[in-house]
Amino acid sequence: MSEAFISINDVYKRFSPRLSMADRIVSKLGARVETRPVRAVDGVTLMVERGQTLGLVGESGCGKSTLGRMIAGILEPTGGQVRIDGKPVMQGGRKADTRIQTIFQDPFASLDPRMRVGDIIAEGPLAHGLADKAGERAYVAAYLERAGLDPSFADRFPHQFSGGQRQRIAIARALAMQPDVLVCDEPVASLDVSIQAQIVNLFLKLRREMSITLIFISHDLSVVRHVSDHVAIMYLGRIVESGPTEKIYTDPKHPYTKGLLESVPKLLVEDDALVHFKPIMGEIPSPLAPPAGCHFNPRCPIAVELCRSEDPRLRLIGPGHCAACHLAE
Amino acid sequence: MTAAGKPISEAPILEVRDLATHFFTRAGVVKAVDGVSFSLNRGEIIGLVGESGSGKSVTGFSLIGLVDPPGRIVGGSVKLEGQELVGLNDAGLRKVRGARIAMVFQDPMVTLNPVLTIGQQMHLALAAHESISKRAARARSAEALTRVGIPDAPARLDAYPHQFSGGMRQRVAIAIALLHGTKAIIADEPTTALDVSIQAQILSEMRELAREMGTALVWISHDLSTVSTLASRILVMYAGRIVEEGPTAQVLRSPRHPYTAGLLRSLPAMAKPGTDLEQIPGTTPSLLDLPEGCPFRPRCDRASELCAKDPPMTRADDRGYRCHHTLEEMVSA
Repeated sequence: MSEAFISINDVYKRFSPRLSMADRIVSKLGARVETRPVRAVDGVTLMVERGQTLGLVGESGCGKSTLGRMIAGILEPTGGQVRIDGKPVMQGGRKADTRIQTIFQDPFASLDPRMRVGDIIAEGPLAHGLADKAGERAYVAAYLERAGLDPSFADRFPHQFSGGQRQRIAIARALAMQPDVLVCDEPVASLDVSIQAQIVNLFLKLRREMSITLIFISHDLSVVRHVSDHVAIMYLGRIVESGPTEKIYTDPKHPYTKGLLESVPKLLVEDDALVHFKPIMGEIPSPLAPPAGCHFNPRCPIAVELCRSEDPRLRLIGPGHCAACHLAE
Repeated sequence: MTAAGKPISEAPILEVRDLATHFFTRAGVVKAVDGVSFSLNRGEIIGLVGESGSGKSVTGFSLIGLVDPPGRIVGGSVKLEGQELVGLNDAGLRKVRGARIAMVFQDPMVTLNPVLTIGQQMHLALAAHESISKRAARARSAEALTRVGIPDAPARLDAYPHQFSGGMRQRVAIAIALLHGTKAIIADEPTTALDVSIQAQILSEMRELAREMGTALVWISHDLSTVSTLASRILVMYAGRIVEEGPTAQVLRSPRHPYTAGLLRSLPAMAKPGTDLEQIPGTTPSLLDLPEGCPFRPRCDRASELCAKDPPMTRADDRGYRCHHTLEEMVSA
């Protein structure tokens, strides 16, 4: 069987809390110290085809950013492996190559304020031999233009730009590494609506013009719907539903996906629609102590006895459409 | 509160006229709020929408006199149940704030005191305006927490802010704002930092509050869809002014100002997935360097020579707009 371009195979990430001094001493003395690791990502398997965009959706603490960082090779999985084009992205805790680049949420934090824009963009390509000193300016100019910026901006500093322009600089920097995969972690969350539209359009353009594979992490369901081919919904470290975007949005099978979609405030509502607004009850449980069985069962409107005892596996319920729910059909 | 001897008329709780707040910076005068007027009735929720730098938060701060130097309210009036707040001294404002008008901020972790229990903080808030026994304060506080949907409220009074989740913390902040039977609450991006499912819970609770207790709300947000679920009226701000206002459904269905229309068209929810979003060209102008006439002129596709003259606020059939070239029925529902 041929492998998908990006294959995420049963990946786990656990974060163990650091022991306090007292705990370290008693554990040295032979006492057993209870440490419960946070299961940030708890057995995720996903495939992404070349040139496709996968949207990773979930609320805070669901593990979407941790998963994104493992795909980008920033974090090493505790278990399982992420492979891109057949090669693992991380070996022995070291990032294997530069095929993957990341774009972060906050362009005020991700650009070095003391470097000129041109140097920010050229740093990686120079270090990895994608550009040489002689061709540096032209190289930078090409990528600035690709990100929709004026090449003359290369001599300026990040503080001279607005949030939207900074995000374009971050995109130019990522593209300059000629990556196959771009992991975008909440790339438009900190931008104003009118600027958000410009950046979303830029992503759509990049996808059309380059054969780039995008992992688009966001909590904003409408943005994800707009840019993604496939969507995976995460809850407490696991994928609860995944499938083709339109399928997920028009015919969600998992009760969490349904609740999430219903929680999104609609722009144009009938006057009576206010009454139908039914948010998901309760709060997201702590990932330190996820509930037994299906993680969603305490908040689920249709949970049955089985859901409290047995963990539902992600199973195929339609063409390319998977859900981890005992009751999904 | 006791002055409510007169019959309940439909006099607005909050009446704002030509409010202007300017910041006197070294680089020049920033007209952050430049002639904002609106009124708020009992139980009404209005949404104040705009992008960053539009002046929506400064408007909120100005309403309860929380503008710090170099900022200053330079004109206009804010009347709370007939009482003028602009020009009131600190002591006068302190009597009003928290008791009759309150504010809820975006980040409850910053507004709650991390070293006091919720119960202690609520007691302080109560004691600021009336003499109250500890026991009575606990009872009132627990009641307020229950009202905003915090389960097991009496026990939670002894918890510290860090023991609450973000959504619960924001509920506590709202409960504190409600303690004195506050008539009007100004909420500045109160759900922006929260997850969608928690945001949905708080939105539906706020609607209940307004309906059952008659609390009036000014909901400040950059998010048109949150406002559309909540507010009956919407005010759209751009460069320190209200450029369009009206009943929410009408404004969203048929915006008259090109800026409102542009904002709506740039939302992914309004476009076919995968197609380019329409975008408003350019960026929000610096308030230090506003163009002559209509501030939206350089980004507007309908701008003409007429727009070099500042458009006045036109009011017709419950709606208002500041534009020389209004559009009708831009977005079909």
